[in-house]
Amino acid sequence: MTLRTLLLIPLMFLCGTAFASTAEAEKRLHSAVSDVLAIATASPDRAALQASLRPVLKKYLSFEAMTRRAVGPGWRQFTPAQQEEAVRLFTTLIIRTYSDKFTPGEHPEIVFKAATSPAPGRVEVPTTILYQGGRYSVTYRLEEAESWRITDVVIEGVSLVANYRTQFDAEFKKGGAGAVVGALSQSVENPK
Amino acid sequence: MKSNLLVLAAAILIFTSCSSSPKKPAQPAAASVGDKADGKSVRAANDLDEYQVETIADPLEPLNRVTFSFNHGLYTYLFRPISKGYEWVIPKLLRQGIHNAFENVKYPVRVVNDTLQGNFQRAGLETGKFVVNTVVGVGGLGRPSDHIPALADVPAGETGQTFAKWGVGHGAYLVLPVLGPCSLRDTVGLAGDYALNPVSWVTIWYGGYAWTLAIPSTNTVRAMPNQMKMYEAATKDALDRYLAARSSYVQYRKEAALK
Repeated sequence: MTLRTLLLIPLMFLCGTAFASTAEAEKRLHSAVSDVLAIATASPDRAALQASLRPVLKKYLSFEAMTRRAVGPGWRQFTPAQQEEAVRLFTTLIIRTYSDKFTPGEHPEIVFKAATSPAPGRVEVPTTILYQGGRYSVTYRLEEAESWRITDVVIEGVSLVANYRTQFDAEFKKGGAGAVVGALSQSVENPK
Repeated sequence: MKSNLLVLAAAILIFTSCSSSPKKPAQPAAASVGDKADGKSVRAANDLDEYQVETIADPLEPLNRVTFSFNHGLYTYLFRPISKGYEWVIPKLLRQGIHNAFENVKYPVRVVNDTLQGNFQRAGLETGKFVVNTVVGVGGLGRPSDHIPALADVPAGETGQTFAKWGVGHGAYLVLPVLGPCSLRDTVGLAGDYALNPVSWVTIWYGGYAWTLAIPSTNTVRAMPNQMKMYEAATKDALDRYLAARSSYVQYRKEAALK
């Protein structure tokens, strides 16, 4: 066995796992989407929708990673208690934002396109969503930790996490971790 | 009228390319307070700069914020009721037809910009789509092109996108009264789109008669529900609506420039 073949083996292995994991991530996303759609169809109103979506979204989304990245490098200056509080509040906010995108009784149609893997343990799945007469491009970003979880949703090029990154950054510059948590709890308590 | 518009466009464009001074990226916060050596924490610490704060020069922020809150009031108390009224009065199928027809008629905006970008293939696809939707879709009321895979997702060309592809920067962020988030470059783009849209030709050529108001007004109202939904989606549950809208705008335009 030459050195070259020896070097090839881990490469083949890597390609193989990348392929397998892409399929796994896609499967995971499909089941997330069908779970969400089943709830959206069955919910009589918005409040019920939000309540029943919560456990499902908590299962499929990595709220901890989303919060951390939306805060950025300032995250290191959060105390563990502040980190926990920020994750809790941001989770509620995202679930509310997400639930508001559905109109009870409307059925979006989702067309999945070929997934890509930008890095090991990461998969991006572009989709086209037909909803209320419009066509929207929505890309789901997934990452593998204990299982595959959604870490960002990019609608027409606008990333959910990046959008909050800008806002958290402004708060952090104003008053550090305390300001971020304060602004978050204000948004959660007073829905606009 | 048209030549005035072009001169204005050229003037703003020159101004834009001279004055573009992107803001410095945000300084990363002081590093590593209590990083642990175990794998999970290191990984967690490494992904903190995964998302950058988007940058656009916003020297007019105080004025922009005033315009933004004026617009917010206008959207909330005037545009949203109009949208709701329109959705209530006109049946969904007809609304969709009206929407399709006005989008179909905007064909010159798309085909001219595809051509200016040197993207002749896309200009061809747009032409195919226009013919299919006009003929099979009865004047564009239907959108049969949705069922033809090659024509279903042709990215729409527009003037701001053409400038972006030519390498023109945003210049500065602007919140336009009524129209909302924009930039110097894209304001010129909007003027271009306006001039290329047959709907505005009615006003430009036959302006002054009351009947000419009907078509552009219908166009404005039919677009309103979607625009209100987009505004809502971008700013609802925001910590700061202004920043949320600005961030969404910059990201959305960046994506449009890549299409």
